[in-house]
Amino acid sequence: MGPADVLIGIPSFNNARTIGHVVRAAAAGLAKHFPGARSIIVNSDGGSKDGTADAVAAAEFQPATILVSHPLSPAHKIVTPYDGIPGKGSAFRTIFGIAQRLGVKACAVVDADLRSITPEWIELLVGPVLERGFDFVAPLYLRHKYDGTITNSIVYPLTRALYGKEVRQPIGGDFGFSGRLASHYLTKPVWESNVARFGIDIWMTSTALADGFRVCQAFLGAKIHDAKDPGADLAAMFAQVVSSVFDLMSVYRDRWKAVESAEDVPLFGFPHGVGLEPVRVNVERMHAIFRQGSRDLAEIWQKALQEDTLRDVVSIATAEARPLHFPDSLWVRVVYDFAAAYQRRALPGDQLLGSMVPLYLGRTASFVLQTADSGPEEVEAIVKGLAEEFLRQKGYLLRVWGQGPGGA
Amino acid sequence: MWEFLSDVIRKTLTGFGERMAAFGPNILAMIVILLAGILIAGALHFVLKRLLPRLGFDRFAQRLGLSLILQKGGVRRPGSAALAAVLSWGLLAVFVLLAIGALNLQFAMDLVSATLSYLPQVFIAGALLLLGALVSAFLRRSVLIAAVNAGLPSARLLAGGIHTALMVLFAAMALEHLGVGRQVILVSFTILFGGVVFALSLAFGLAGRELAREFLGRLVRGPDGEEKRDELRHI
Repeated sequence: MGPADVLIGIPSFNNARTIGHVVRAAAAGLAKHFPGARSIIVNSDGGSKDGTADAVAAAEFQPATILVSHPLSPAHKIVTPYDGIPGKGSAFRTIFGIAQRLGVKACAVVDADLRSITPEWIELLVGPVLERGFDFVAPLYLRHKYDGTITNSIVYPLTRALYGKEVRQPIGGDFGFSGRLASHYLTKPVWESNVARFGIDIWMTSTALADGFRVCQAFLGAKIHDAKDPGADLAAMFAQVVSSVFDLMSVYRDRWKAVESAEDVPLFGFPHGVGLEPVRVNVERMHAIFRQGSRDLAEIWQKALQEDTLRDVVSIATAEARPLHFPDSLWVRVVYDFAAAYQRRALPGDQLLGSMVPLYLGRTASFVLQTADSGPEEVEAIVKGLAEEFLRQKGYLLRVWGQGPGGA
Repeated sequence: MWEFLSDVIRKTLTGFGERMAAFGPNILAMIVILLAGILIAGALHFVLKRLLPRLGFDRFAQRLGLSLILQKGGVRRPGSAALAAVLSWGLLAVFVLLAIGALNLQFAMDLVSATLSYLPQVFIAGALLLLGALVSAFLRRSVLIAAVNAGLPSARLLAGGIHTALMVLFAAMALEHLGVGRQVILVSFTILFGGVVFALSLAFGLAGRELAREFLGRLVRGPDGEEKRDELRHI
């Protein structure tokens, strides 16, 4: 196979139900928006048993479905199993490797379980790289105000405060990037670590930001996809996401120490609002777990939290006055204390982050109560306010980083 | 008469003097070994007390939960100081045994021999206790966190129960290794453990039938009710 200009990567594992639609959307996007480019679609599969590979092979793009005034050359398809540790990261590594071998100029990766992907996603993820010289395109989705609470309360504001760039969905899952950045990713010695298993999204974003690549965002609209795993344990999921962010803090500590402000990055696409289905939230249960955590886990929190932080947390958890209010400033101190405790290995990582879950639920319950009657714009302003608080307290992070509780 | 008495006293004193002359070097050797032991153990204590904190032992002990175990056992000093004390006292004990051995008395030799042959058992029992303390502390923490995150109201009781059961198990194993009342320990442990399981079965069967039904139902049907209605997507 000869060189290519554009590559669309689709990591998959048992996605036979949805991957056909994703492949067709990708092929249509390439034909419609990049007709002159030599294109390839790569499905990097983790050993699916449900006929995912057959679904990819059978997914035929119908040129009649889009209006074009130019001749169409269909994109090539490659279906390949990946080597290494099972996980999305290993699938991406295979995609990066193929991109490097084919010398592609621009790549995009999209999840195989997407139901809302349209051909325009390909234009928005690939266009800024191919036509505007950007190296990394982060997705910006339209989400319900209670969707992505770990992203809103930890990953987004922390990434912004650390690397000084406004990337609203650092773990979105669908990205565009240059061939140069794909080659750069391959030089990193992370393919036997948790990055290969579950931490690839935040790793790609953080690496692009910390290593000085040109970053932008693309508005993709609503993201609708199959539920990941309805029975998935929150604590395990929380530990995976937060440990990935905290691990990167240690790797890039020399980069983020000097960052004191954050700036917007260019945004492509046309942001708009649409009605989203309401989300039911059991605030009482979250509050009860937070309250119980303050009673039963205080001895563990003591290893992570500074004295005054612990005192304030216990005080709001046990306060009889309603409604529950977990202030931004306190939440930021909690996250920074846990980041420092994780870095100095105060406890085994899973236990430390598992003990943080009741705090996160307390903060989430407070957020839900605070925004019960708020519209999307108001909620976004509150999330941005929290992100500013993370930046304001950067000095606190620098103080506790490398210290024990109480400054020991 | 006086001559006979004087002869007996002279022979006695001479014999004592000869025995003392023969035994004196052993006593001297014992004193020298004891003094050397005190000096070496003191030096070891001095060095370890300063070296271990610099090597990060206290942080390591805190991570493993050793510091917490020491605190619960009433030991207020840091883990490094405790280890330095244990090792230096252990070394001193070895020197004391060597010193007793230097007397070259039959009972002393028997004592030294018996003690030395028993030492491996003591070390293994100590290691078992230490391992038990570490494993039970780790599991206690894991269970406590998981139970709190699951919203179980008796999280501390559950975690404490697991901690105690494991400690009892490891203590029984350690005593078994030391050969202390083998049968008594085995029978006691069997009765205690069987009793606890029987009591729990009764309690769960009599008082928790509804809970058991609900629990089994959820295993078969999957979660329902409040938890299912929570549609929050965290990432």
